[in-house]
Amino acid sequence: MRIVSKGRAVAVHIDPTVSRCRLKRGVSRLLLLACAALVPLAARAQQGAAKFQQDPVDKYGTHFLTAIILVGVVLVLYSLLRYRGNVVGPVSWGLLILGVAIIPGLTSGLGTVLVFERAEHVDFCSSCHLTMKTYVDDMENPKSDSFAAIHFKNRYIADDQCYICHTSYGLFGTVKAKEAGIIDVYKYYTHTFHLPIKLREAYPNTDCLKCHAGSVKWQESHADYKDAVFSGDMSCMQCHGLEHKAHNVPG
Amino acid sequence: MPHAIAMKKIIIVLQLLALLVYALGLQFLHRTTGGTLFLFSAMGPLLVGIATLGLIAVIVYEFRRRYSLFAFENYAPGQRIFAQGDPGDRAYFIHSGEVEVVREEKGSQTVIAHLAKGQYFGEMALINNQPRNATVRAVTDVRVAVLGKQNFLVMLSVLPSTQEDIMKVLRERAMDQATK
Repeated sequence: MRIVSKGRAVAVHIDPTVSRCRLKRGVSRLLLLACAALVPLAARAQQGAAKFQQDPVDKYGTHFLTAIILVGVVLVLYSLLRYRGNVVGPVSWGLLILGVAIIPGLTSGLGTVLVFERAEHVDFCSSCHLTMKTYVDDMENPKSDSFAAIHFKNRYIADDQCYICHTSYGLFGTVKAKEAGIIDVYKYYTHTFHLPIKLREAYPNTDCLKCHAGSVKWQESHADYKDAVFSGDMSCMQCHGLEHKAHNVPG
Repeated sequence: MPHAIAMKKIIIVLQLLALLVYALGLQFLHRTTGGTLFLFSAMGPLLVGIATLGLIAVIVYEFRRRYSLFAFENYAPGQRIFAQGDPGDRAYFIHSGEVEVVREEKGSQTVIAHLAKGQYFGEMALINNQPRNATVRAVTDVRVAVLGKQNFLVMLSVLPSTQEDIMKVLRERAMDQATK
């Protein structure tokens, strides 16, 4: 409903078309620039691995998450530049709710899946360069004769080698490993770790047996010790820790 | 501070928080280390939670303002009730006290009206769906009954006589301003 009164002091009307056009052009250019700057950043994810080595969960999850984040950034930037904190109608409300609540929530939720995936990768372990890199370097050293190196160079474990050896069997094994990982990250970034790094508890037999117990070769060669190893009366390290260390690192 | 400015600042802060979450996500995707993973997986949900709660608070607050039904508000002398250019979301009915209506044009302020008990203001922005065209300040201690925009418009549609009264008052005000 419009009210028109004769002689009423009228608010100054600036021709809206000119200023709006300029604003729209400026906003569009800024958004395009932002997207162009972000695309190479996103595209660098998961480079370097051959196609058959790429984990589809990681690959497609990364692409999808990147797309969601870019959409969120565009919406929020547009809302900031166009409305500047005002909410004057359904469009501005929609942009606000999408950009501030829904898309960040999706980002965080989907990102958690990728967090759990990527925390298992070898290069993630070696990113803690003050503590873990020496262990990873030994594992990847083809001349090393440590357990880790033997398992790695022969690909007895296909990938995520650190995680596979240092995670116990089943759901609770995974939960314990993630718990320990969070504590390790906390200690690393608060510099409350102590060198040399040590296992929290003696390496359990079950972490060897989860792979080896089903092996015919192992069962034949360990026929005399099988029961003691399964029951925990004898540790795998009693024999194998003497000849081969798990990792050949100082200390 | 008028609520409009406070709301604007809160909304901008919420949007900046969201941008921070996106930045943490992109940083994590670009280079996954213990630090980026921790920041994204621990700080990310925290920031999302704060932003979401903040947004819910804004929505509830705006909804209550828009749908307020004769809530009473008190203003001290000199206190601004709303400023020129603020979004119009409520009409005010003076229960006691006096207010002045001030229009700002080209940097100078002109008092265009004084309103007292029994009169009302703030309705034009609701009818026109335009921002406030003047600032209203309390001259004395003022107590106003506030009606949210939606309820005001419903009142106009349900009570045609109210609509006629308001049109009459608006015409009188416009003529007053023209003669000044």
